[in-house]
Amino acid sequence: MAELLFIAVALLLGLSALAGALGVSLLGGKFLEGAARQPELVPLLRSQFFIVVGLVDAVPMIGVGMALYMLFAG
Amino acid sequence: MGQDQERQIESTGLASSSGKSKYNKRLALNYLRLFLVQLALISILSVLMMLKDFVTAYSVFLGGLIYLVPAGWFSLRVLVKNKAQTPRQIVANIYVSETGKVLLAVAMFTLVFMLVEPLNAGALFVTYILLQITGWYLQLKLNQRFLKL
Repeated sequence: MAELLFIAVALLLGLSALAGALGVSLLGGKFLEGAARQPELVPLLRSQFFIVVGLVDAVPMIGVGMALYMLFAG
Repeated sequence: MGQDQERQIESTGLASSSGKSKYNKRLALNYLRLFLVQLALISILSVLMMLKDFVTAYSVFLGGLIYLVPAGWFSLRVLVKNKAQTPRQIVANIYVSETGKVLLAVAMFTLVFMLVEPLNAGALFVTYILLQITGWYLQLKLNQRFLKL
């Protein structure tokens, strides 16, 4: 049973990390594209980039929290 | 993006230094308001839960803190203590801040689960998820420019 728990935790942590990394890296790429295309919009793009990064990492962090709960308190 | 292009952006002052552009100032103010609203929300929830039992009350407060401390640190690093000038530096700064935010949240979750006993995990997670959702909603509500894009 303990092995299954570790596998579940590893899957939760790994998939959360993958999802967060993909989301943030795609955003970074789009930000650089936008900045290269319209340099005058860099301050605005920076604000929007900051906001959306905050939105992207929310669900992976919930997964990480659940995984840590299973690992330490379960 | 080439070095010349970055230098051009920097020289025209389009990528403002020290994070002092008007967008950043407005955003920093919005985030301060958002932070205070969420802090008030978890305080009120904790006081209300105190009527039920003390464990649920501090679990709710800890769940709120686990969300608010990393989010506040991230906002502070990106919006206030930011010296990035070129787009590349901005992206690097946000990546580093995001990594720090995630590590801080993981450390706080781990510390709470290891050290706090007894703990109402359901209340902690419900508060954490509630704050994420209010964060999304309030960000979209406070940032009118974002809705127009």
